[in-house]
Amino acid sequence: MKHSVKKIKQQVCQAVFAATVALSTISVSMSASAEKLGYPEKEELKFGFIKLTDMAPIAVAYEKGFFEDEGLYVTIEAQANWKVLLDGVIDGRLDGAHMLAGQPIAANIGYGTKAEIITPFSMDLNGNAITVSNKIWQEMKGNIPKQADGRPVHPIKADALKPVVDKYLDQGKPFNMGMVFPVSTHNYELRYWLAAGGIHPGFYAPEKGDTSGQIDADVLLSVTPPPQMPATMEAGTIYGYCVGEPWNQQAVFKGIGVPVVTDYEIWKDNPEKVFGITKDFAEKYPNTTIRLTRALIRAAKWLDEENNANRGEAVKILSQSNYVGADAEVIGNSMTGTFEYEKGDKRAVPDFNVFFRYNATYPYYSDAIWYLTQMRRWGQISDDKPDSWYKDVAAKVYRPDIYKSAAESLIAEKLMSASDFPTLATDNGFRSPQTHFIDGIVYDGNKPNDYINKFAIGLKAGDKI
Amino acid sequence: MSTFLDISKIDMVFPTPKGDFTALKEVDLKINKGEFVSLIGHSGCGKSTVLNVVAGLYQASKGGVLLNNRHVLGPGPERAVVFQNHSLLPWLSAYENVELAVKEVFSKTMNKAEMKEWIEHNLKLVHMEHAMHKRPDEISGGMKQRVGIARALAMQPQVLLMDEPFGALDALTRAHMQDSLMEIQDELKNTVIMITHDVDEAVLLSDKIVMMTNGPAATVGEILEVTLPRPRDRIALANNTEYNRLRSAVLTFLYEKQRKVEVISNKSATATKGENKTPKIEVA
Amino acid sequence: MTTLIRKFTVNTVNLPDWFISIGRNFTALIMPFIGIVCFLFLWSLSASYIDTSLGKFPGPSAVATQIGNLYQEHIDERSKEDAFYQRQELRNSERLANDPNYVVKTRSYTGKETFIDQIATSLVTVMSGFIVAAVIAIPMGIAIGLSKTLNNAINPIIQIFKPVSPLAWLPLVTMVVSAVYVSDDPLFAKSFINSMITVTLCCIWPMVIQTSVGVASINSDWLNVSRVLRLPALTHIRKIVLPATIPAIFIGMRTSLGIAWMVLIAAEMLAQNPGLGKFVWDEFQNGSSQSLSRIMTAVIAIGLIGFLLDRGMLMLQRKLSWDKTSASR
Repeated sequence: MKHSVKKIKQQVCQAVFAATVALSTISVSMSASAEKLGYPEKEELKFGFIKLTDMAPIAVAYEKGFFEDEGLYVTIEAQANWKVLLDGVIDGRLDGAHMLAGQPIAANIGYGTKAEIITPFSMDLNGNAITVSNKIWQEMKGNIPKQADGRPVHPIKADALKPVVDKYLDQGKPFNMGMVFPVSTHNYELRYWLAAGGIHPGFYAPEKGDTSGQIDADVLLSVTPPPQMPATMEAGTIYGYCVGEPWNQQAVFKGIGVPVVTDYEIWKDNPEKVFGITKDFAEKYPNTTIRLTRALIRAAKWLDEENNANRGEAVKILSQSNYVGADAEVIGNSMTGTFEYEKGDKRAVPDFNVFFRYNATYPYYSDAIWYLTQMRRWGQISDDKPDSWYKDVAAKVYRPDIYKSAAESLIAEKLMSASDFPTLATDNGFRSPQTHFIDGIVYDGNKPNDYINKFAIGLKAGDKI
Repeated sequence: MSTFLDISKIDMVFPTPKGDFTALKEVDLKINKGEFVSLIGHSGCGKSTVLNVVAGLYQASKGGVLLNNRHVLGPGPERAVVFQNHSLLPWLSAYENVELAVKEVFSKTMNKAEMKEWIEHNLKLVHMEHAMHKRPDEISGGMKQRVGIARALAMQPQVLLMDEPFGALDALTRAHMQDSLMEIQDELKNTVIMITHDVDEAVLLSDKIVMMTNGPAATVGEILEVTLPRPRDRIALANNTEYNRLRSAVLTFLYEKQRKVEVISNKSATATKGENKTPKIEVA
Repeated sequence: MTTLIRKFTVNTVNLPDWFISIGRNFTALIMPFIGIVCFLFLWSLSASYIDTSLGKFPGPSAVATQIGNLYQEHIDERSKEDAFYQRQELRNSERLANDPNYVVKTRSYTGKETFIDQIATSLVTVMSGFIVAAVIAIPMGIAIGLSKTLNNAINPIIQIFKPVSPLAWLPLVTMVVSAVYVSDDPLFAKSFINSMITVTLCCIWPMVIQTSVGVASINSDWLNVSRVLRLPALTHIRKIVLPATIPAIFIGMRTSLGIAWMVLIAAEMLAQNPGLGKFVWDEFQNGSSQSLSRIMTAVIAIGLIGFLLDRGMLMLQRKLSWDKTSASR
């Protein structure tokens, strides 16, 4: 009885939610088709980024003149770390920025700095990897099955790392690893990989003031800005890390570590970075918002066009000192369809960086909800929430409506074709249930609480730290 | 002739950490208009203190100073001072140093051209017309003192106060300066109080020599009238009996009557005070 | 005795004048040259022995190459800038044709700041912060020097704040500036204001202290001159106090400019504010094979500019200060 009431409640919520989404989409698309897109209200913009290859759409939109085509004069500025970047957007020093998918979500639910940040554009899929130091690699290598040619079988699971971690714990030595931000994709991916191999990455308990995320942990995770990862590992402060490119390839290049697994292998085609702006900005400058989304969509398309034909040029752009600045050779290692694991073990990973294919740029509610489930799983969200709450938050942060009007106006102006957006008309904001996780667990964005309960390690419905 | 400058029973007490120190006790002195008066005494007897009280830079603890029947309450240009070490402002040229004074004193009564003329006139008076636009660090000690005198004269003071004006100069320059000063004095007939250590200088320049007793509680010991005719010539005076009498009278006062006894074992407060040349409490 | 000896040696050896003058110039001109050559030699020698994960430590030749590269980048960026303005002009005229009410506005170039731009930014920042500090500190120092009461009141505060590294202020400054300096079309960038205030904060204390000490120790005769002339307060400050304190003010200014330059670079690194410090930090983060030699180039540029700033102040001091002895080194 009780169960059925809950179910009905859930269904009602879902229906209401779908209706609101439909309504808002209709109203926006109507206004977009009714009149031509106006000039931008604000023309001079400053965007922040962190030195990672997945900022490419911003650099490309600038260098290829897509921003200027929209009448936008954009200054692009590297930021010291994710916190500085987020604060910059919140206090208006930056108009928008390349953000971790978790950042706008966490800001909306008030984990960390509370602010209303929205995202009309998802920047890429995949692009991260987990690297361990040479020493750890030597210790775990023996635990990995070999292929016929003697190279390790991929994907490498954390099962291979578990004996090493256990040995350290027995000796009373803490096992430290780096990730880039408490709400970053990297944190959740690293945790997912570790937990899938039976290694506990630790819980958060924010209401008790514990934001270190190390409660019950086997492996102690701490924050290090991406560009400093290799140097921090080289100094011995951390034994491994999860970060975006080129900082895994940098470790190979410098000979200080070995990437063991890419996030493509942990969760195939996982959403990674988003472009974040404040809600105020989007309301105050609606044309500017649509126009910058248009420029970014065009840049993303350029990056993936003709089977990655432009990647070579993109690498050259990114290697400029004002963008990523690493050597073109290092950036090219991951951007051009390959990925170098152990030195010399270069394998084809054509989808390591996806900027446009597979609807990469569309801001799916289900992507936002996945991040929320992981926040709940590791205690960053300390209390149980109904499924409807997950969807409300997702709808507040992810704005397919803006994306849609940008895409439609691009099609209308013949800058892009309808075939570039095959599912635009039918999308309801939810990807169909996703199966390609390293532990084989299926994710359905419509049922976040069910999903959370499937994990062996992590908080489940009703659990509290 | 009524008294022009009346120094009337001044006491001067300085507070020190060890208790009050009485520098002057009942100093009483009357000076007539146009008179050149020298104050002579051993160092530490409070000559400078007297001068500073007249200048208004110090306030007497007791008693007071009347100039032209008006009470002296503070410093002012009608009582111009020629300081011991010239005290020219080093960032200004000779001309500008004098100009600073002239501008302050005559801003209401002179126009620009008149001021310029007046400044140049005063610098000519002290024979400094050739180095008017030089800075103090570019001219000799004697020249600096000349500019200092020009600056004081340019204020057209009722009393000119000179604190050992030639003390820091070599003997030859000093003689030169004394002659110049006599020349100027013949022309301007200023009322002058001059502090000196030099007996010859006192006799040569003065109408009246005021000899002060040793401190603490220094006061006027004797007053000697100098009636030698002017203009005076130092070479001619060398054999003048009156000159030599006056000279020995001063010397007798200084080295017999007020002989300074320095007790080595028990250095008295006086001696310490006398050598103390802190800028604020100048008792020397 | 010494003169005797000198006479003796000169007479016996009988050195010609030109030889002696060369000898003097030798120490004045040749020795620094030899010093620099030795340094370059030792530097390139030791650099070749230091291996980092980013390659060898940059030697003089790597730095020389980077100077060329950085200059070339600057030239390239300027031509990109020209193209940017041309495109903008075209776009503006197109828009004007479609939309006659449009008020044409030229947007400034949005490209990257080159090494030379960063040098200019740092110089402008340090000078503005320095000037603001001087405008505040010199009157404050004079007031404190003139009034014993004020000195007693303010001195403890100065003594407490003086040893605080301005970098400690930086987070506070950043937060306050973002809260207070709100404007839709700000005249100055917030990052500039942040850096500038940081520079100001570190310049202020040495200048206040030196100025007030200078005022308090003015020759009492000069003060007496002023009193005898009955100079009004303002004239007194303008004609006597200020000039008399100039040597002390310059000591304070030179000290604080030296500190300010060092602090600014650190602040730019820390806060990612535009300037040479950001250049160094960005290059460190880039971790490319050229990064180390670029950082080394920046280090040398920073040193050279610091030196030139000090020389500049010295020249200014020689020009403005009457006290030539205090401006001798």
